[in-house]
Amino acid sequence: MNVLSLILFIPLIGAAITLFTKSREQARIVALVSSVIPLILTVMSYLEFNPGLAFLKFQFVEKISWISSLGINYYLGVDGISMPLILLNAILCPLTIIYAWGENKQSNQFFALILVLQAGVFGVFMALDFFLFYIFWELTLIPLYFLISIWGGPNKDYAAIKFFIYTHVASLVMLLGIFALYFSTNVSTFEIPVLLQAFSDIASPEMRAAIFLALFFGFLVKMPTVPFHTWLPDAHVEAPTAGSVLLAGVLLKMGGYGLFRVLLPMIDGLGPYRSDIITLMAVLAVVSILYATFLALAQRDLKKMVAYSSVAHMGYVMLGAAALNFMSVSGAMFQQFSHGLITAVLFMSVGVIQHSAHTRIIGDLGGLAHKMPKLAFLMMGGFMASLGLPAMSGFVAEFLVLTGSYITLPVFALLAMLGIVATAGYHLWAMQRAMFGSYNEKLGDLHDLAFYEMMPMAILVLLVILFGVYPGPVIDIFDAASRIIPGVI
Amino acid sequence: MSIINLMSQFAPELILTIAALAIMIIGLGLGAQEKRVLGYIAALSLVAASMIVILRGVGYVQLEGVIADSLTIDPMSQFFKLTFLLVSLIVVIASIKEFDNHSNQDEYYTLILLGTIGMMVVASAVDIVTIFIGFELASLSTYALAGFNKKDPGSIEAAIKYFIVGALSSTLLLFGLSYVYGMSGGLTNIGELAVFFSANPGVIQTPIGIMALMLIVAGFGFKMALVPFHMWAPDTYQGSPTVISALLAAGSKKMAFVAAFRVLLIAMIAIKVDIALVFAILAVLTMTIGNVVAVSQRSIKRMLAYSSVAQAGYISLVFVVMSPEALTGGILYVMSHAFMKTGAFIAVAALGYVLLKENSDAKEVDHLDRFAGLGKRSPFLAFSVMVFLFALAGIPPTAGFVSKFYLFYAVLKGGFLGLVIIAILNSALSLYYYARVVKYMYVLPPESPEKMKLPIAYTIAILLALIGVLSIGILPEPFVNWAASAANVIGL
Repeated sequence: MNVLSLILFIPLIGAAITLFTKSREQARIVALVSSVIPLILTVMSYLEFNPGLAFLKFQFVEKISWISSLGINYYLGVDGISMPLILLNAILCPLTIIYAWGENKQSNQFFALILVLQAGVFGVFMALDFFLFYIFWELTLIPLYFLISIWGGPNKDYAAIKFFIYTHVASLVMLLGIFALYFSTNVSTFEIPVLLQAFSDIASPEMRAAIFLALFFGFLVKMPTVPFHTWLPDAHVEAPTAGSVLLAGVLLKMGGYGLFRVLLPMIDGLGPYRSDIITLMAVLAVVSILYATFLALAQRDLKKMVAYSSVAHMGYVMLGAAALNFMSVSGAMFQQFSHGLITAVLFMSVGVIQHSAHTRIIGDLGGLAHKMPKLAFLMMGGFMASLGLPAMSGFVAEFLVLTGSYITLPVFALLAMLGIVATAGYHLWAMQRAMFGSYNEKLGDLHDLAFYEMMPMAILVLLVILFGVYPGPVIDIFDAASRIIPGVI
Repeated sequence: MSIINLMSQFAPELILTIAALAIMIIGLGLGAQEKRVLGYIAALSLVAASMIVILRGVGYVQLEGVIADSLTIDPMSQFFKLTFLLVSLIVVIASIKEFDNHSNQDEYYTLILLGTIGMMVVASAVDIVTIFIGFELASLSTYALAGFNKKDPGSIEAAIKYFIVGALSSTLLLFGLSYVYGMSGGLTNIGELAVFFSANPGVIQTPIGIMALMLIVAGFGFKMALVPFHMWAPDTYQGSPTVISALLAAGSKKMAFVAAFRVLLIAMIAIKVDIALVFAILAVLTMTIGNVVAVSQRSIKRMLAYSSVAQAGYISLVFVVMSPEALTGGILYVMSHAFMKTGAFIAVAALGYVLLKENSDAKEVDHLDRFAGLGKRSPFLAFSVMVFLFALAGIPPTAGFVSKFYLFYAVLKGGFLGLVIIAILNSALSLYYYARVVKYMYVLPPESPEKMKLPIAYTIAILLALIGVLSIGILPEPFVNWAASAANVIGL
């Protein structure tokens, strides 16, 4: 069996076993083991991976005929665009499981769902057949729907169903785009690389633009980009911490991944609509960055603030993609990777605060650092990375995106830079009011991080610093990939 | 063709006939307690018949002779026969517990087998008279089955509504078919009718021809429960014993589709355009109204009934597109829907059975509230219901997704983007009411903390449907190929 299939199916098998465990102890051990094995396999394949191979030269390829009459195959493979994201998913999942070590409500189902979610995300990043891609894309909805609706907050019903239907509709629009691409190209296969190469041969430019927009819509909602972001804050606020971590950490990355995997290679084929669509992407990106940043500034709920900061940070991914030069594109890809790590720390911090102080309202907190020094330290790390402090991975990503974007989209890059100021503002302000100053005695006696909470957060902060100081291992791969995407200059 | 040869070709039907007669005779000598054995006989005969259909495969057999001119054996008939046999098998297995100790079990199983034979006759029929006979055999059996709970006024009401509407639709259909017979100068064979109408397309353009067409469409429309001919379906599905609702929604309704595929697509191929517009309107109305009304239902049986109406709307897109791919998608959809719907109804029946066992005065055992906390009380039942409902909504990796994918693919290939968009919006809307049941099962607390003990008969029946739904979803290739060769028969 191919290594990618192993990485993909071990979490699924683990999920099935976890479901039948009898106690919390068994459930979490089985879950941890079944997410650590894919991590080991991923790291091994990462070391073996050759970033020098050109775009559309996939590695670790596996192809089995599935529905031959439609040209559908079980077709897996990775290249520079997907490999680091697979690594991200492989890292985040075991850390999330460790963080949720104390989960005692139906814990076997809880851990099983996390594993299913992980498998779905792996599948999206590995699939090279649109049918398979769509199946995994949809498969990720179900576990998250349950994670929100069973373990969620007071308004979970609304948030879960809104998430499910909103993103399902977007997926269906994407499916229409896939069908349209399939029919317009006459290559009789659902293989993504083949369809992408055939895209520019479609005669009608209107048809090409329509296909592009349909796929774009699917990715926009997933990322999410303003104005299609409204499901996200609701989902985050109601989701349990582990759900939020995976939602922001890897699920949103599926949308960004779609940009690089599917849309950028198409962009030169758009013909007369090319510049209009690039402008549209840039406008959406800048609106997302500014609008979400200012909303974050206005939030009283710490978790909602972090949720809006995710929307803004994903805006940089879109901006980098729209700018279409290899610096901005590799920066955008790196932003995906880096934001996955950083946002996990942020949501974990908020989760700890919620858990021990029983509130997330910034105004009701205050001086937590006195009682929770470890949390304060790690949370500070996350916040600094999120606002883009040098020597943290967030800085590398944003620097590359903004510098790169300035070359091709100067006006938009300058507007986006305005967002950085406000980003620093809300992070520091929230930190100052929640963590520092005098202790709010109403909160009672708080306990600091448990070991299982501290360990994943500490690992993540270390990784954020490591990739901030030495981004080479990841960014070289992205850089090589971005240079050979057609359309990127 | 010798009579022996002919009999061997129709061995599945003969086995069921013999079993039906045997059940009736053996039943005379048994007390209510012992009559359970009749269910096993019925199940065995269905298993044997299905095995023969499967072993015979998808081949095409040329039949000749007096009877055989009206019947055929081709991939289409085999595909639908297998669908009907499996649906009946699942229903019979579930009934073994549902009607345990019932004094009329002999009639019950006989009627199910006779109904199945009727459906199989329709699947094989290439003659409008034979189709009608098969239809009536299946309908008469199911009228009685719908009213099988004699003491329940709901069941009686269901049966009466079903009977009156069924009789009316049969009349309309017969009326329309008799015009066709007259116009063609006495032809009943579908193939010959097709030749006649394509040679004389003017005949159907006359007022009487259009009248005939409308009558046939209305006749089939009632049977397929297309809006606006659907009014009977929710009441009948809700009032009937739940296992019979499964048979009605997954079996006898699908019979109407195979007949419509043969009659409308083959015999009326010359007048393609006129039918396409009518069916486009019917399909859009059916899926939209079915889904919109389903949203407000609190009774799961009623919700499933409206969802069944909506799903019929998707399938009837085949009559609009009229391409081999669309027909393949439609045929695949029929089998997928048969598994999903049977499974869902049987699961509701199982829940009702257990609830009544716990408390014989339990009311509204199919109400949404009864599903609260089912995930804790019976993980297997809740998981199965979830799979069936997500399959109905078209979430991968289930039969519902594959068949919707194929059908929408084909409709798009036919160039009907607008229809696909409407269907897709409907599909998204349907997710709301399916997911709501799932939410009730897994999120809300149960009414009673005790674990549910599910009788083994239900478990087997649900498991069979589950295997069907998942195997089409995960390994669709053989089913798609079979459906494609079935669609080939029509020669669009």
